[in-house]
Amino acid sequence: MTRLRLTHLAAAAALCAFGLPAGAMAQDCEHPIGAVLSLSGSMAAIGSAIGDAGQLAVDHMNEAGGLLGCKAAYRLRDDQGQPSIGVDAAKSLVEIEGVEALLGAIQSGITMPILTAVTVPEKVTQISCCSSAPSFTQLAREGGTEGYFFRTLPTVRPQGFVMAALAKERGYGKTAVIYVNSDYGLSLAKAFQEGVEAGGGSVAVMVPYNQEQASYRAEVTEALRSDPDSLFLVAFPADGATAMREWISLGGAQNLLLSNALRASEFVEAVGAKYLTKAVGIDNAQVAGPSVDAFNISWEEVFGEKPNGPGLHTMYDAAAVALLAAEAAGTYEGTAIRDKVREITGPGGQVVHPGAEGFKLAKEVLAGGGKITYVGATGPIVFDEFGDVTGPYLIWGVGEDGSLTTVDTWSVEKVSELMAKNAK
Amino acid sequence: MLGIALYLVFFLIVVTIYAILVMGLNLQWGFTGLFNAGVVAFYAIGAYGTAILIGPERPELIGGFELPFALGLLGGAALAALAGLVVALATLRLREEYLAIATFGIAITVQLVALNFDALTGGANGLIGLPRPMFGYFETPNLYNVCYLVAVLAIAGAVYALLERAVRSPWGRVLRAIREDATAARSLGKNPTAIRLQAFILGSGIMGLAGGLYVGFIGFVSPIDFLPILTFQIWAMLIVGGSGNNKGAVLGVLVVWGLWTISGTLISQVVPPSLQSQAGAGQAIIIGLVIVLTLLFRPRGLIGEESVVSKHVRAARVARDNPSSS
Amino acid sequence: MLQAIADGLLTGAIIALGAIGLTLTMGILRFANFAHAEMMTWGAYMALGVLTLFGLPTAPFGPLTFGWPLLVATLVAAGLTVALALLIDRLVFRPLRGRVGHLTLVFASFGVALLVRNVVLLMFGGRATYYSNELQMSVEVMDGLRVMPDQIFVFCFALVLAGAVYLFLQKTPLGLAMRAVSENPSLAGVCGIRLGKVVMWTWIVGGSLAAVAGVLYGVTVQLRPEIGFHLLLPLFAAAILGGVGNVVGAVIGGLLIGLIESLSVLVIPSGYKLAIPFLVLLVVLFVRPSGLFRGTSGGR
Repeated sequence: MTRLRLTHLAAAAALCAFGLPAGAMAQDCEHPIGAVLSLSGSMAAIGSAIGDAGQLAVDHMNEAGGLLGCKAAYRLRDDQGQPSIGVDAAKSLVEIEGVEALLGAIQSGITMPILTAVTVPEKVTQISCCSSAPSFTQLAREGGTEGYFFRTLPTVRPQGFVMAALAKERGYGKTAVIYVNSDYGLSLAKAFQEGVEAGGGSVAVMVPYNQEQASYRAEVTEALRSDPDSLFLVAFPADGATAMREWISLGGAQNLLLSNALRASEFVEAVGAKYLTKAVGIDNAQVAGPSVDAFNISWEEVFGEKPNGPGLHTMYDAAAVALLAAEAAGTYEGTAIRDKVREITGPGGQVVHPGAEGFKLAKEVLAGGGKITYVGATGPIVFDEFGDVTGPYLIWGVGEDGSLTTVDTWSVEKVSELMAKNAK
Repeated sequence: MLGIALYLVFFLIVVTIYAILVMGLNLQWGFTGLFNAGVVAFYAIGAYGTAILIGPERPELIGGFELPFALGLLGGAALAALAGLVVALATLRLREEYLAIATFGIAITVQLVALNFDALTGGANGLIGLPRPMFGYFETPNLYNVCYLVAVLAIAGAVYALLERAVRSPWGRVLRAIREDATAARSLGKNPTAIRLQAFILGSGIMGLAGGLYVGFIGFVSPIDFLPILTFQIWAMLIVGGSGNNKGAVLGVLVVWGLWTISGTLISQVVPPSLQSQAGAGQAIIIGLVIVLTLLFRPRGLIGEESVVSKHVRAARVARDNPSSS
Repeated sequence: MLQAIADGLLTGAIIALGAIGLTLTMGILRFANFAHAEMMTWGAYMALGVLTLFGLPTAPFGPLTFGWPLLVATLVAAGLTVALALLIDRLVFRPLRGRVGHLTLVFASFGVALLVRNVVLLMFGGRATYYSNELQMSVEVMDGLRVMPDQIFVFCFALVLAGAVYLFLQKTPLGLAMRAVSENPSLAGVCGIRLGKVVMWTWIVGGSLAAVAGVLYGVTVQLRPEIGFHLLLPLFAAAILGGVGNVVGAVIGGLLIGLIESLSVLVIPSGYKLAIPFLVLLVVLFVRPSGLFRGTSGGR
């Protein structure tokens, strides 16, 4: 592995010595960027599009002249939704392919064993697009990640507080919470409860449900028994639709609060838009802005449709951060990449956006010894000491025709203010 | 080259852990003829048991006893054996397939407990930060992996030796006698239920041991480590290698797990992304076909059951394989 | 409480239909068929396939969400399910029957279950679907009890069907032959009952009931490739609780399992609901392994 890297460097140095233009020399050597995602298994429906988002970032980097004088090669592996397969794939990427920056995985239960068994021991930087479990923050606090773990998906904690603020604003005094029993659902529901209680209220009832059941009538009945005036549903689209249909048909109030994962046309179609006109939901990022547009436009150019699925923006940013950090480090090596991640996203540098143009600018500035600030497909990215980001949020609703509308936006500052107020 | 070797070490650790799991199943099915439809449950109980015993103490958890790894491993295996005892006691004196149904049930129950009993299992988040035994004593993680492989191989070897010895002992011959004809065994004064119970519990404990070793290797445990498909994978390993033969069982692990990991990589490269959500179904279908076709056409697997104790038994088996009447 | 009882009886009725087929297989063919619940999945999806393939309208009957197209589709689906059951018997179970210990049959059915489930997944994808996307509002029958018209239809239909099966087994020569084989196969053979024919009819009755149960399940809840997998344990619990081979027992067992499962949510967190049939099963096996009612000798 080390020898491989030296050869790459040597080749790059030799090419530089001959003064070849950046575009021409990018073909002779490769820096592999690894990705482990669920391309089959329970998350397959979203996995392959997320894989495409990573590919897009790598393609942009190559268009911009490659990575450290070489071609960036995207090595995507399937974890089949099984941790043991994901860990195996990660290990083979690191040892055989020589990957120093690994993207993924989607489910926290796969990301975590890859982190503890592969990337941390091997000193490889791992950036996840989609794992939201609070346990990563906890592990980082205990020193278990050694700083090698980052994620571009904002943790769900602030989301819960924003939703609690929203519930209060709308005058819901007795909200039932039905949440998916996963790391994501549990942490979001708990944060919401905390937020409501911090605001002096209390939630009517907290009901977890297990994924992929055919019916949630029992859970809905349990929630309705406390006679709530509103519902906060934390779910993924398919199960969420099941629970919501049963909630509505059993006569639950149509004062609905929806989690970010439900912002999908699949959910609205399955439930029926006419029941959702009073609903509000929350979602990460995608606040308007030139950096977000840059990503959206290039996605549409390549794939011919809007980037609406979950994880696309965050995956692009995960890949972009890994690539730019490697470029800034001047060497393709896990620890060096780790040490540059905060520098290239931190404030004060030349702002660069997604896309080949942005990456080209970034490379020029870095080559000249300058500093860059990558503002990504999700807007500005600020990693805290545990590798987490706080993002801006948007509040969405559903139109009569079933279209997803944006009702309001919460900037990072506004979210931070809310969190600071609650911390007291 | 070094990279490939390091990966192989890693790969072999997983293979060896699964081999222990398959040997446990082999004792139940191959030697005793007990059908366990919830292999994953005993594996999970062993893993969670170990994790809870060795894990760091946390205020929100019941567990976190911070015991030495060896004790945790034994504790996990003992818990798995205990679960085996409960299921076996309820079913073994009844119709044979009740055990199959009950083990299927325990697999679902264990999954639910892992997911819902937050205070014990960490719920969907799993248990993090579990110490890997003696990790600090090694200079590089890869050296550690090599040593862990040696340790796991030694344990697998011990299990193998124990089982080989046991099945060749008088106890083992009774096991096979019961598998072939329980009534005849009873008429010879053997108590089939008690002996089946012993074999089932021992097998469950071995499966739990494999679970504990997995935890020691990964340092983390969560519910998605124990999906129902794992039961089918383990069964495919056993049946491909040949039940009733420990060498075959180990070979089956290598073949099935090797093909499974390679096919995942191949599929992700060959199949267009739009079809990949179906690829998982394709793989599961292959596992199902392997099980059914092996049962139909090659019931003895790649190697098959080892030859017999006496020539009289061989004659009897030939007669059984070519039944003139049924 | 009332709501839980009503919901439990409804789920129980569907479990009962599935359990009839299972108890017959366990009684007559003498093995626990793990693939039986997958017949429900298969039947439910075949009906969906017929609806979408022929673009049949979903003109509803009165307050119901479905109309005659679904009934037609159900008939076709029942046919296709029987075909699948017979095909599996021909290809897998018959070659194994008699040649190996009957546990190998159980094992084979375990593999077949995985196959059927994933073939459905391959054909239809993993998304949850509905026969009709129209959402039905429940009606408040009395204070604290809401039911949907679909549910009432499903409940009555299931009970009528179970009654018909009972009459078939009691009154027709074929039914008598099936019961005879279930009671005592050797004696039945001596009396000139052709085993092959009885086996075939067991699959026909079990398969079509499973298909109908699957469709009814799809009407009241939704369609997913995992529905069979999740129903397998309740089916087994119902069959054993009712006494293996006993059709009336299976129906009562199914209703009881549905009720217990539904009522349990009042006491323990709903997350553990799926484990309830297993606990009931364990209790039955410890306390009264022969079931509440007299099973057949095949169910000993």
